[in-house]
Amino acid sequence: MSLHSHLKRTVDMQIIADWVEPGARVLDLGCGRGVLLEYLVHTKQVHAVGVDLDFDKISACVRRGLTAYQGDMMALMRALPENHFDRVICSRTLEELPDPGAIIEQALRIGRTVTVGFVNHGYWKNRTAAFFCGRKPRNSVYTTAWYESRPSNPATIADFEDFCALRELRIARSAHLHGDWKTTCRFAPNLFAGYALYDLTH
Amino acid sequence: MNDASADLTKSARSEPGEVGLVEPRDFVSSAPFTFDNGLAIPGFTLRYETYGRLNATGDNAVLICHALSGDHHCAGIHALTDKKPGWWNNLIGPGKAVDTNKFFVLCANVIGGCQGSTGPSSIDPRTGQAYGITFPAVTIRDMVRTQKRWLDSLGVRSLYAVIGGSMGGMQVLQWSLEYPAFVQRALAMATTAREGAQAIAFNEVGRQAILQDPEWNHGYYPKGGGPRVGLAIARMMAHITYLSDASMDRKFGRKAVAAHHKPTPTAGTSTASAAVTVVAPNDASGLSMEGIDPVAPAATFDVRFEVESYLRYQGQSFINRFDANSYLYITRALDQFDLAATHGSLEQAFASVQAATLVVGFTSDWLFPPEQNRAIALALLRAGKRVSYAELATDLGHDSFLLESPQIYDLVRGFLN
Repeated sequence: MSLHSHLKRTVDMQIIADWVEPGARVLDLGCGRGVLLEYLVHTKQVHAVGVDLDFDKISACVRRGLTAYQGDMMALMRALPENHFDRVICSRTLEELPDPGAIIEQALRIGRTVTVGFVNHGYWKNRTAAFFCGRKPRNSVYTTAWYESRPSNPATIADFEDFCALRELRIARSAHLHGDWKTTCRFAPNLFAGYALYDLTH
Repeated sequence: MNDASADLTKSARSEPGEVGLVEPRDFVSSAPFTFDNGLAIPGFTLRYETYGRLNATGDNAVLICHALSGDHHCAGIHALTDKKPGWWNNLIGPGKAVDTNKFFVLCANVIGGCQGSTGPSSIDPRTGQAYGITFPAVTIRDMVRTQKRWLDSLGVRSLYAVIGGSMGGMQVLQWSLEYPAFVQRALAMATTAREGAQAIAFNEVGRQAILQDPEWNHGYYPKGGGPRVGLAIARMMAHITYLSDASMDRKFGRKAVAAHHKPTPTAGTSTASAAVTVVAPNDASGLSMEGIDPVAPAATFDVRFEVESYLRYQGQSFINRFDANSYLYITRALDQFDLAATHGSLEQAFASVQAATLVVGFTSDWLFPPEQNRAIALALLRAGKRVSYAELATDLGHDSFLLESPQIYDLVRGFLN
């Protein structure tokens, strides 16, 4: 299971690493234990900063030699000047945010490019879980029952692209992965992609 | 209590992981030193301790900076009969977070102090008398600059890390901007780049307690004499600011000292014996504050609560080890420290910093609250520096940085490795 999820993680990490300019100044919103940032430091020699809420996660980042800030990501971003970072990454964090639109707006203020990666709630298996079973999806992504979970705010690819159009955010590039989170999905991503990545600019 | 201290001594002596017996040494600089305010002294002494060994390249040194009432004795014991090891013994030792098998760990008593380093109670060689208040005003920067001279004399070529909490954290910040190429890692805990009005206010009350004590005598008093009541009261009050409502309530609550426990009607039963308070270790309920007439309003205002007894003990033991003039000088140094004002802004202050920095705040610290620690980290970030900020949820107040916390040990170890 852990190996499985590690592999899943690898492909979206690789895509992000492909998009990141070498030596870029990168902020990772919801950096967790710093797995992605460590990878970016190794592959692209980025100047990495992470932000997360949990002491032990920050401690794990520090152990990896990363710099990380414990606190509210919105408060951190508000304290930083425009274009302080080349890139702000919001990977697998979006659905946990109470106000993702405001976060992305702030991220675009302090970063020239914002990379967003999220689980596509419109993926057909997620739809069928709701449609046929009338249940919250339970799978290797949504591992917990509703009563064990925080309220999350899942979005679909269509939702996200609507939001970008509404806020006039330019989608510089995107990538969609199938339900295996490994292979590229080119056809009807809102239905067949399990994971989506976007590079946004103003 | 005797058993506990015997255990402590034994573990400090023989078990792996302990620094064990240590001896303080003196660094004597015979070259004049000019303080930030332009006044000079002909030379100075810093008393210090070291643990572990300096490597051949002179780059495994970890400097520990102490807080207001701390000293150079941060780990190990001085004698097998010592009841307590050095003040940061839980963090420093072979295999501990600050690993003395890897690092050459050093700590010096600050200039202006009174634990062996030159300060107001030292003799001015020019007059043959104690400096008293002719001692130049001390700043955090003076503390750092005198320590640099000491480290140079020991062959320390760079600091692998400099670590400190509270006033020690201020020194850490000063180190990393004063000697940017010398400091590789800076770890500041429970500190501030500028005290708020509240912290200054508390220091001022402490100073007034000393200054208004007739025994202070404009700073001229014999060694061992002086404003002992004023100093004890200053310490009692300051000590409250190092704790928290929750931690005091847990430790003392409204527990009465044994002497004033009123027997319940069912005295002699198990209820009564259960109600007999466990008096805090080092109980000082029997101690009266020197100079305060214990007879006067007697019973009504004598020690009733354990917390009173505890604070009296803190005050009493402090006057036996601390000099009142040093207390005035060092609290002034704390209050004057303002990196933003000195450099135009905090970002400009940190412009020269090269060290990787870790700032740690504690949620219940109301003396140097988390926001002030966070402000340091944010300014370093804005200045484009490598900085991490961690905030530990504790309810022990400012003194949390001295806490026995595996989470802090892991963080410090991770930062150093």
